[in-house]
Amino acid sequence: MDAKHVNSYVDDRPSEGVFRVHPAAYSDPELFELEMKFIFERTWSFLAIESQIAKPNDFVTATIGRTPVLVTRTPGNAIRAFVNACRHKGATVCRMEQGNARYHVCPYHGWAYDANGKNVDIKDRRAGQYAAAFDAENHDLLPLPKVAVYNGLIFGCLSPDVPPLDEFLGDIKFFLDCVMDQGPNGMEFVPGRVIYNYRGNWKLQLDNGLDPYHLTSTHTSFIEVQNRRRRGAGNVEARQFDWEKRAATRGGVFGFSNGHSLVWNDHPQPENRPIYPSNEEIRQRVGDTRASWILSKLRQTTIFPNMQIPEAISQLLRTFQPVAVDRTMMRVYCLAPIGERPDLRAWRLRQFEDFFNPTGIATPDDVATYEECQRGFQAKELGWLQGYARGIAAIDGGENEVTREIGIRPNESVIGKFEMQSEVGFHSCHREWARLMEAGLAGRKAYE
Amino acid sequence: MSIEMGREERDILYAGIDTLTREGVYLDEQKWDEWLALFVPDCEYWVPSWKNEEELTSNPQAELSHIFYANRAGLEDRIVRIRSRRSPASTPMPRTSHVLSGVLPLEKPQAQKMRLRSSWVCHVFFPRIHESHAFFGRAEHELVLRDGNWLIARKKTILQNDYIPTMLDVYCI
Repeated sequence: MDAKHVNSYVDDRPSEGVFRVHPAAYSDPELFELEMKFIFERTWSFLAIESQIAKPNDFVTATIGRTPVLVTRTPGNAIRAFVNACRHKGATVCRMEQGNARYHVCPYHGWAYDANGKNVDIKDRRAGQYAAAFDAENHDLLPLPKVAVYNGLIFGCLSPDVPPLDEFLGDIKFFLDCVMDQGPNGMEFVPGRVIYNYRGNWKLQLDNGLDPYHLTSTHTSFIEVQNRRRRGAGNVEARQFDWEKRAATRGGVFGFSNGHSLVWNDHPQPENRPIYPSNEEIRQRVGDTRASWILSKLRQTTIFPNMQIPEAISQLLRTFQPVAVDRTMMRVYCLAPIGERPDLRAWRLRQFEDFFNPTGIATPDDVATYEECQRGFQAKELGWLQGYARGIAAIDGGENEVTREIGIRPNESVIGKFEMQSEVGFHSCHREWARLMEAGLAGRKAYE
Repeated sequence: MSIEMGREERDILYAGIDTLTREGVYLDEQKWDEWLALFVPDCEYWVPSWKNEEELTSNPQAELSHIFYANRAGLEDRIVRIRSRRSPASTPMPRTSHVLSGVLPLEKPQAQKMRLRSSWVCHVFFPRIHESHAFFGRAEHELVLRDGNWLIARKKTILQNDYIPTMLDVYCI
């Protein structure tokens, strides 16, 4: 594959009414290797949230593409990130998901590092008959060339050639603020994490997290349970909202630079959300416009390449880690305001578990479907997929009464009734995928 | 420490093991109504998540669970969903085999109430993908005597292998 072939995977001509992606983009192992090199190793990735490493020497581990990463808070209160591999023989130094440690000692030969990544001990160094050439080498953990924080969200990059995080995120920051400003003391992950994997490409999750069209077909069994709950039977404590009321609401899509995307609509029943009782506090703190986007909109926020924050009821933060072309590891966390009232916390948890868990009654149907897409992609006859077309005729230039109200400038947007179930949300992600792949194949930097 | 039991307590324990066995059998045989009937209406059904590699969550009101139901209604939802035949994750329906062992009383069984711990394995074959997976863990049951039947008033299931392949439903544990 070379640079001029990228358009045989993403056919991006919305002005002609066409946007198509080829199944090979999801199923070709050669492309997967290129994605690791030209996307995951050359752009910002979400690593953790700040409250996970609130105290000096706290740490959390993460992965960028296939690279193991250690994120620390130093005794000097700085946030740093390193390749989590010992300089001696390459073993991972830190084996735990998170914790607190002044020193990280590699269990293989005992080399030790501090929270600044500095090598503080090479076991039995004096007796080791090392040559001067060894002493001249740097033995510290390899720092990530870029680490930055936006409103409590920690990102890192394996390449120095990226725009500043602020610029990378661009105007989708407004919606990250809507996520991270829900509590007066910041946000945290509720203790407990859920991990699952599926036999499918990582971009299937990327797409599905921006896909309003599947809801009434993939989740018909969930809808059936909901209808029964509205008659008072079943787990009414999950307090889901009425999906039938959603179809008539106003909603849309914002596509941003660098692959980010947002799907939103007016919330038909904001009173069912656990932040609703905090309405007044939020309004006073962040002002009317942002408060209304926090409280009364459903928002599905995607930060390219592999982090999403869906928010229809309670809040989920998920990462989808590519493992192989047809293997993806999911990590999902329940986001919540720090110091949340106990009854609201329980309300949040019951909603989250009901819908978002792979042990719940909705997400399993999504994930099983990704696997069936991956199976279907084996059909060489299939050709271009047709699932990126809804809403194309409604695309505007990115400026309208909604964007003006909140002061953002997306590259494109779609506004209409939810029943349009627009697929335009996928465009910016796949467009960025193609741009980064093409830049890599052409030998150019990822960002000029 | 083992619990001293007389013949009466052993008979009660045996009745409790019978209920635990039926729980697995009814799921394996898809006798959903019989399965639901093993739970009292206000039973608590809890599958805590892990906080990290080594620590379980301990408070379902403040921490994330895989599943938490304060009563049987949540279990009824599951059966409604399975019976709808409209859940892609449950169509075709996975086949299961529950294996139960290591049942011990957590305290001396009483005439109306006992608490048991057990170890379980659930082999699940997914016809959709032609693959099997074995979920395993341990459980704690609180059983109560209602109208001559020992029913489940509280169940806590600990899932030891919590990297979940695609999905997990109540019949997988």
